[in-house]
Amino acid sequence: MDRVTSLWGRILIQIVLILFAIYSIVPFTWTALQSIKTVRDAGSRRPKLLFSPTMENYEDLWLRSTPENPEALAFFLLLALVLLVGLLLFAQYIPGRRSLVYGLVGLGFAGLLWGIPQLLDTDRFYDFFLNTLIVTVGTIVISISIGCLAGYALARYVGLLGVVLLLAALAFRALPRFAFVLPYYWIGSALNLLDSRILVIITLVAVNQPFTIWMLRSFFMEVPKDLEESAMVDGANRLVSFLQVIVPVAWPGIISTALFTLLLAYNEFLLVRVLTQTNWTLPVAISRFTGGEDPRHLTLAAAASVSATIPIIVVILFFQKHLVKGLAAGAVKG
Amino acid sequence: MERKIFFVFTSPSILVMTLLMALPLAMAIWLSMHFMTFTNVLAPQWVGLRNYIDVLEDAQFWQSFEFTIVYIAVVVPSWIVIGFIMALLLDQQSGIVRGFYLSIYLLPFIIVPIVGTIMFRQLFEPSGIIRWLYQEIFNQRFHYTEQSVKTLVLFHGVWYVTPFTLVVYFAGLQTLPQDLLEAAGIDGASRLQKIRYIVIPHVRSLTLFILLFSIMDSYRVFDSVYVLTELNPVYKAHTVMTYTFQTSMRLQRLGKANAMAVITVIGIMVVLIPNLYYSWKEQLAER
Repeated sequence: MDRVTSLWGRILIQIVLILFAIYSIVPFTWTALQSIKTVRDAGSRRPKLLFSPTMENYEDLWLRSTPENPEALAFFLLLALVLLVGLLLFAQYIPGRRSLVYGLVGLGFAGLLWGIPQLLDTDRFYDFFLNTLIVTVGTIVISISIGCLAGYALARYVGLLGVVLLLAALAFRALPRFAFVLPYYWIGSALNLLDSRILVIITLVAVNQPFTIWMLRSFFMEVPKDLEESAMVDGANRLVSFLQVIVPVAWPGIISTALFTLLLAYNEFLLVRVLTQTNWTLPVAISRFTGGEDPRHLTLAAAASVSATIPIIVVILFFQKHLVKGLAAGAVKG
Repeated sequence: MERKIFFVFTSPSILVMTLLMALPLAMAIWLSMHFMTFTNVLAPQWVGLRNYIDVLEDAQFWQSFEFTIVYIAVVVPSWIVIGFIMALLLDQQSGIVRGFYLSIYLLPFIIVPIVGTIMFRQLFEPSGIIRWLYQEIFNQRFHYTEQSVKTLVLFHGVWYVTPFTLVVYFAGLQTLPQDLLEAAGIDGASRLQKIRYIVIPHVRSLTLFILLFSIMDSYRVFDSVYVLTELNPVYKAHTVMTYTFQTSMRLQRLGKANAMAVITVIGIMVVLIPNLYYSWKEQLAER
């Protein structure tokens, strides 16, 4: 559409856009403020906007006991984090063995996550955080690997079977979680897998599979057909040409899909709530902080909410383009 | 691609979906005909259609069903209208300003729904800022009642999914037929006329698609209602999903809960079947 040119019109549009922005972030800002208040300040009936900030809620949440030299520890942890992220960002400028660098960064992160409980007396919230990471990464890896194969085949196969599979996936995607969750509980108790990460990962892969194959298919459709044909003329078989020729071209789309899988796995509540008793992921763990009469629930819930949100915001800052692209591509279809 | 290779490539995915979606669905039907609690999960007791009669005679189930319908009727049109208007306004911006607004608007959508609802609730706690504003402006106390909890659920529903429709419409606006708009401009069409006769027809198929998917998704709303009601035990504002949760996890009537799930599945067919038909046509046209 052409632009509004009148001054008043432009001002009015800005005002509406700003109001909508405020409306979008008020809950975040308020919760973030509550999370750095003392229990007393946070509970005040007249909302306090001026207060002396405190980190005690975060300490309560993540740690069992206060470390002796918190500043030095925080400094080292931040330094390690900045180094790893920096390495990740600069990896694309390092010639040659890029995958080696990514592998090293991955190992570094794993080492850091393993090392933190050795240095600090971490509370259960840290275990839930680790659990969430394991479940999320596991789900992404399995879901995207098998989803890529199926999505590619669905993009290239013209037979009626492809349509049937796509429609079946669409139907499965529409069904409420409860149609699956209670049978999963039954399967879990029959196989003695309740409360295990494996069960959560496998079921998350399953419930996300319809969405994943629809979305990946739409990205593989955009890859020109001659590409793999020329590779196959050179004598490579389907799988090799797929892995070496198609996947690199479709990589941005795969990242988009992985991002949505990440959100779905990280956000899942109902499935984890029913299938686990102690091995919770963050959404279930956080829901425990919100009930009850203890006034600390208010600030702890706020600190937990902010803690769970920061990783997602960081990921989205890095991949915002992929997210918008995925939404625009009719991601939602599946 | 040959059929054999198609099967090789899709087999892991088909296996997962058969074992963990088709089979559980059949199992849900089988389990719904049993009396089952957490103590006899592996040895349920056959009761035939008893659970279905129980559910259909359960007044609370119908109340939760009614609220689910109200939720869909309020929230889905709001998503579409607000999302469309905001997309039009955002389209007036460009460059870094546009990107900035877009990242802020996306926040409610990317956040963990449970966490988003908890944040939303913080505003209405006794010490919350919106509750305080409400009391200052209307000079009356804000109370949690069934009515106000339901209103909160609706507000949260609108707040949390609007970014999604906004972005989808926004993407749709980027593909507007420019020549048509210019021709209309030369003919002296006003902005509203352009929106009415060019933009809205252009996003019609997009709207249909949003409509079908958002009805299906809001029909199974769970997380936000769980936080706003289940954890607030005095006032109930159940939807079908939270009532099923209550029946299974709190009351341990797993068979009855399965019957509810099966009934909800039948309910979703109203939207699912047109959706499948539409996709079927679309797929055949593509080939």
